[in-house]
Amino acid sequence: MFKHLFKLIWNKRKQNFLFLSEILVSFLVIFAVFSLLTFYYLNYMLPKGFESERVWSVSYSRNAKTNNIDSLNIFYENVRRSLKALPEIEELSFTSANFPYSNSHSTTGFTYKGKEMSPINNYVVEDDYNKVLGMQLLEGRWFNKEDINQRSVVINSTLKQAMFGDEPAAGKIVGADNEEEKWKVIGVTADVKAEGDYWPAGKSFYKRLDTGSFRWVGHILLKVSPKADAAFESRLSKLLARIIQNSNTEIQHMEDTRESKNSDTVIPMIICITVAGFLIINVALGLFGVLWYNISQRRGEIGLRRAIGATGSSVSFQLVSESLLLATLSIILGSFFALQFPLLNVFNVAASVYIIALLLSIAFIYLLVIFCSLYPGKQAAAIHPAVALHEE
Amino acid sequence: MIRLQNIEKVYRTDTVETLAINGINLDIAKGEFLSIMGPSGCGKSTLLNIMGLLDEPSKGSIRIADQDITRFSDQQLAKFRNQKLGFIFQSYHLINDLQVLDNVELPLLYRSGSAKERRELATEALAKVGLSNRIKHFPTQLSGGQRQRVAIARAIVGRPQIILADEPTGNLDSAMGNEIMDILISLNKNDGTTIVMVTHDENMAHKTHRLVRLFDGSQVQ
Ligand SMILES: Nc1ncnc2c1ncn2[C@@H]1O[C@H](COP(=O)(O)OP(=O)(O)OP(=O)(O)O)[C@@H](O)[C@H]1O
Ligand SMILES: [Mg+2]
Repeated sequence: MFKHLFKLIWNKRKQNFLFLSEILVSFLVIFAVFSLLTFYYLNYMLPKGFESERVWSVSYSRNAKTNNIDSLNIFYENVRRSLKALPEIEELSFTSANFPYSNSHSTTGFTYKGKEMSPINNYVVEDDYNKVLGMQLLEGRWFNKEDINQRSVVINSTLKQAMFGDEPAAGKIVGADNEEEKWKVIGVTADVKAEGDYWPAGKSFYKRLDTGSFRWVGHILLKVSPKADAAFESRLSKLLARIIQNSNTEIQHMEDTRESKNSDTVIPMIICITVAGFLIINVALGLFGVLWYNISQRRGEIGLRRAIGATGSSVSFQLVSESLLLATLSIILGSFFALQFPLLNVFNVAASVYIIALLLSIAFIYLLVIFCSLYPGKQAAAIHPAVALHEE
Repeated sequence: MIRLQNIEKVYRTDTVETLAINGINLDIAKGEFLSIMGPSGCGKSTLLNIMGLLDEPSKGSIRIADQDITRFSDQQLAKFRNQKLGFIFQSYHLINDLQVLDNVELPLLYRSGSAKERRELATEALAKVGLSNRIKHFPTQLSGGQRQRVAIARAIVGRPQIILADEPTGNLDSAMGNEIMDILISLNKNDGTTIVMVTHDENMAHKTHRLVRLFDGSQVQ
């Protein structure tokens, strides 16, 4: 029977072309949407890697009156002391602009043992940064006074996996194969999803902010106590205005920036799903119409099949099978295109994302086709053979 | 072979009731070649459909091949049609998207059996109707007479005991019609197949063993 159906489909390839291409296009669209959703979902399921609750960021722009390193150091030591003196502030760290959810990026990169490692997020932070963010250390240690003027680096777990696999990383010397500039790994920290809950952490490199760098640093992260309220925020704002003169200071709550960062992902995603949803509804109606029309065109054939020994249910089974066979052809063709994504490593996304999306798309298309052909199939089974044979 | 008792068929639509068959009693012996004649709309096709288990009578009982089929399920009826009956229609009812050989194999697809067996039986049936050289053609590439011969091959491929033919020569000129008639006669003679044929052609009817005339749903002769 299978061969018979195949022959029937093949001989009607011209009529079936529309059906085939309709399923092929929807398959590819569904695959794209599922790839995106799978990508986001898998990232979403990973731990955030730090605590954004009660973390405030202070951004200031200061027209430095002096470029003298010593006087700058004295100035910032003063800022630090004034802030630390506030009981509402539990921890603080100066940081480069690319702290989590900041929309600011700084990357570096190198080739390590022939493997391209870039891009690597390049964070420049202080000794208490990990405490402010509640980061989790997996191996070795975080920065402390020992690292003054040492080329120490803390890497995240993704970078560690990429460079060393399951081997320990602490103590290893890293850097570009062909360059002088080498760094010593002192610790490995858990991945921090700095781009929001739906994006991967990527590879990260944490360097110690040395005192000579205060010239260009413009951000402070604060971990505040549960008692820190709006009143405290305005007091803090005034204090900052006073101690960092001529500056535009801006205080942001990391929970807020996180939310807005997440909506940057979620809103386009919802639009995408809605558009795809409409497309699928259209395709479903189209399939339904094609199948319905098909059956009205084939009443004679259906009547004949009944006369020569087909039951009503075998007629409807045949029609559903034909649709599924056609869907299978489209899926095979579509999978060929879809598989190019993991094979060519497009967008640098894990192959598993594409494979899961592919399987979901296949299941979805089959369900769609079954859904659209069940009712026409049932109608076909109800066609009275004597009546159908009498027409024409 | 076929025994119809007090068969009545009423078609009901929203507005009218048509009494298509009215109190038909008919006994058809094994190996008989029977023809049915009558004016258009007198119920010939309806009667044939009832014998062919494609339509249920409103009243009366049917025995075919010594089986009372009154209580048969949809599945049993389908199996019965497949194994015991062969159909030939005025408009052939071939599937235009299948080659001649595949059209002839069709009834065998609803039985068990290997593809090779099906091929052999279909080739044999096509040889019987003299179409061995057309097996790869599509129905649209054949003449009307050739198409009807394909339909006959399809009707006999499963070696049924009974063939029901509804105006098999209705669409053909007399030369082609005679050809078809000769095939049916030889099937009846050589294989002992029981044949019931509806026709409008007196000449064809006279070549059969017995003629039944219908008028307004009743038997008049
Ligand atoms: N499905 C149906 N619904 C309602 N009435 C029907 C149906 N099929 C047939 N009839 C009616 O039953 C009567 C007998 O029809 P039937 O087709 O048996 O005639 P026939 O003798 O085969 O005519 P013809 O020689 O034109 O083929 C007609 O009056 C027809 O209108
Ligand atoms: Mg008729």
